Amino acid sequence: MEIKEVFKPKAIEEAIKLLDHYQEASKIIAGGTDLIISIREGKEPAPVIIDVSSIGEIKEINEIDEWIEIGAGTTFTNITEAAILQGRYQGLIDAAASVGSPQIRNAATIGGNICNASPAADFIPPLLALDSLLIIQSTDQIREVKLEDFLRDKGKVALSSNEILTKVKFKKLNKGQGLGFNKLGLRKALAISRICTAVYLEVSEDSKCNEMRIANGSLGRYGLREKAVEDYFKGRALTDDTIRIGGGLLKDEVNSRLQGRSSAEFKREAVDGVFTVALTKAIENCSHRKGDLI
Amino acid sequence: MKLEVVGQSVIRVDGLAKLRGKATYPQDLYMDNMLYGKTLRSIKPHANIRLNISKAEKMEGVIKILTYKDVPHNHYGVLFKDHEVFSSTKVRSIGDPLAFVVATSDKIATKALEEIEVFYEDLDAVFDPIEAMQDNAPKVHDKSNIVYKYQLRKGDVDKAFQQCDVIIEEEYKTSMVDHAFLQPEAGLAYQENETFVVCAATQYPHFDQLEIAEALEVPLEKVRVINPAVGGAFGGREDITMQIHLALATKLTGRPVKTIYSRQESFVAHSKRHPLIMKYKTGANKEGKLLAMEATIVGDTGAYASWAINILRKSGVHATGPYEIPNVKVDSYAVYTNNPFAGAMRGFGATQVPIAHEQQMDMLAEKLNINPIEFRLINCFRKGSTTATGQILEESIPLVECIEAVEKSLKQTTQGGV
Amino acid sequence: MKKISLKINGKEYNVEIEKDMRLLDLLRDQLHLTGTKEGCGEGECGACTVIMDGVTVNSCMVLAFQADGSEIITIEGLDKGDKLHPIQKAFLDEGAVQCGFCIPGMVLSAKALLDKKPSPSRKEIREGISGNLCRCTGYNKIVDAIDKASQYLKEEGEEK
Repeated sequence: MEIKEVFKPKAIEEAIKLLDHYQEASKIIAGGTDLIISIREGKEPAPVIIDVSSIGEIKEINEIDEWIEIGAGTTFTNITEAAILQGRYQGLIDAAASVGSPQIRNAATIGGNICNASPAADFIPPLLALDSLLIIQSTDQIREVKLEDFLRDKGKVALSSNEILTKVKFKKLNKGQGLGFNKLGLRKALAISRICTAVYLEVSEDSKCNEMRIANGSLGRYGLREKAVEDYFKGRALTDDTIRIGGGLLKDEVNSRLQGRSSAEFKREAVDGVFTVALTKAIENCSHRKGDLI
Repeated sequence: MKLEVVGQSVIRVDGLAKLRGKATYPQDLYMDNMLYGKTLRSIKPHANIRLNISKAEKMEGVIKILTYKDVPHNHYGVLFKDHEVFSSTKVRSIGDPLAFVVATSDKIATKALEEIEVFYEDLDAVFDPIEAMQDNAPKVHDKSNIVYKYQLRKGDVDKAFQQCDVIIEEEYKTSMVDHAFLQPEAGLAYQENETFVVCAATQYPHFDQLEIAEALEVPLEKVRVINPAVGGAFGGREDITMQIHLALATKLTGRPVKTIYSRQESFVAHSKRHPLIMKYKTGANKEGKLLAMEATIVGDTGAYASWAINILRKSGVHATGPYEIPNVKVDSYAVYTNNPFAGAMRGFGATQVPIAHEQQMDMLAEKLNINPIEFRLINCFRKGSTTATGQILEESIPLVECIEAVEKSLKQTTQGGV
Repeated sequence: MKKISLKINGKEYNVEIEKDMRLLDLLRDQLHLTGTKEGCGEGECGACTVIMDGVTVNSCMVLAFQADGSEIITIEGLDKGDKLHPIQKAFLDEGAVQCGFCIPGMVLSAKALLDKKPSPSRKEIREGISGNLCRCTGYNKIVDAIDKASQYLKEEGEEK
């Protein structure tokens, strides 16, 4: 389809007005690293393109009360350079750094990664593990939705044609809490995830797991939590034995989920290793801040 | 003797222009009044075809659509003239060119491709070269699919295998590989003083000139091929892709015509490395001396022969690897299938066989309980060795030194704990 | 058509563009700045790398209208007349150029890296050019060249 109109609003209000006017005929572009390929393949159904990459207010990363808020227009490079995210949130930085290449990370945004909802989106698992909320705006309202509820299917999210994702937010991490991430790709750069795993962990003073949230990418139609495995760890000490058993449970989960897929045999084995590394990193990141060991 | 270049560090003559972005690759050429070409390609591996271009021809901005009917001599190829400039009655692989749309813009040419109707009548296809060798296999070119057989015989392998203490028999396969040179094919053709000038990145400009002249049925001196900067080739630009299309387009329209392939089209348009199936039987005595080797090599050349003969000959000649073996029997075949065609790529048939002969060496060494490096040193070529083809290696053969250097380096690496 | 204005290599341009045109097409087909190359058209190879508002992007993945108001540096903007940029000189001296098709993108990725990190480790250099493919397998010499460029830039800084 031919592109009939293009807009480059500078403020969110302006973007929302355009969305409200054009509805289904419009499509938001930010980094463009997914959309432009679709346009070139003649797959893009929208004659109106709205570029939100110049809207400053959706590019900020802020600490507000007990929350961290990240603008949807933040690029992966912005994430890797955010001082605020170093330490306990290292999993977010590792996930951002694993995306594409420097050029892709300079353009691609976290909002695009979430809204395109690729099964292999690298930034979705860590945000799921942080139990993130999304802030979505339209002319009528500002609403909040859990990321977990926002993802509907491969490439499908609960976003109306007059709405825009403006921010992602999650609770600040405190003492004993940390996020780990690990990815298995076919090469070191420009690799689409075969498996990516994020682990949020909260450990008690006596090194037991108070809470764990595990989220995987590329192991289903969209990013998913692994609640059966999370339940197993709750209240248990993190030892070689429990990690081995937990990894085994994850293998079983993945095996049954990927039944009939050619990748099942490989991914079932690989997920255990990817998870173990992500968990190890989460444990490290729990005790990251200087002088503030678990 | 004073050497000015050998042993000296020389600044590359074209380096500066390339670093300043001033080097001209074919896609960087623009001319006034220029038209744009796009190639319509087969989406079926083996089918009878018929085209209807009437709708596309009538589109505004479409100047000319070339098909086989426009080509005076519709055949070309580096060894055999088994390629058609445009497929006439049947396609033999996905990607075979069917038509070339010439239009006032790239966009219009692309749109016009969609308006060309192609009627395919599927034919049985063959994708496995071993199957393709059978008498009853579908024929890619209305004759036997076996393009070539190379035989190498030295000594008596049957007798020698009886004297071997260990024998390893295995089968190996290598895959099809694309050169993926970074600059996708592009070209521009125009007329100058009644000469057809074709600018395209090529490895073989003098031969392109000959093939263009033959296809257009014009004298050789009426064709000029200019080879601007070439963005990598690695063998993949030895066969013609767009050169004849462009020359014909400028001849029939009288205007400059340019075309650029996308990366995707580049993948389907040029040759690949031959995938090989290699059956090996190698034997040695318990002292670790190789006594006999028998190999059957089958190379899948896809729908067109390209350099298959030279390549499968080279595979056969190099089948022993750099080892002295007194008794050798090699049969090496090149076979047509309906796969993408294979041709030249770095190594030219010598790259694939080490997968087989080196694995054979490792397995023999293991079975003999001899260190694999020592086993290679016992058998490798030295000055004065005779190869399986009877060549006496009289000059520098520094293989022993090379193996020893690798061994030394390996030891340093492992001792360093990396 | 749409009118945009942008700065390329320090020069102001007011241009009329097609709405579905990519920045790459604007640079090459309209402005004939053909030093920027197209290798894959999908952000894998980095041949079309340009510096946009201080960071490298694949110009095949930016629509031209998105560049309205931005500042672009292409390979043509690097050397000042007869004087090569230290990165270009280092590539030449180290023999890092082969077929040359990756080179404009490589040099701009190197520039973006060195602007940010004047003394990168070899690992950081490899990371810095991880979005640029070279098919002549010339990576080692390219890494050597960027290493040398870092020295040249420091020496140039000391002279000033």
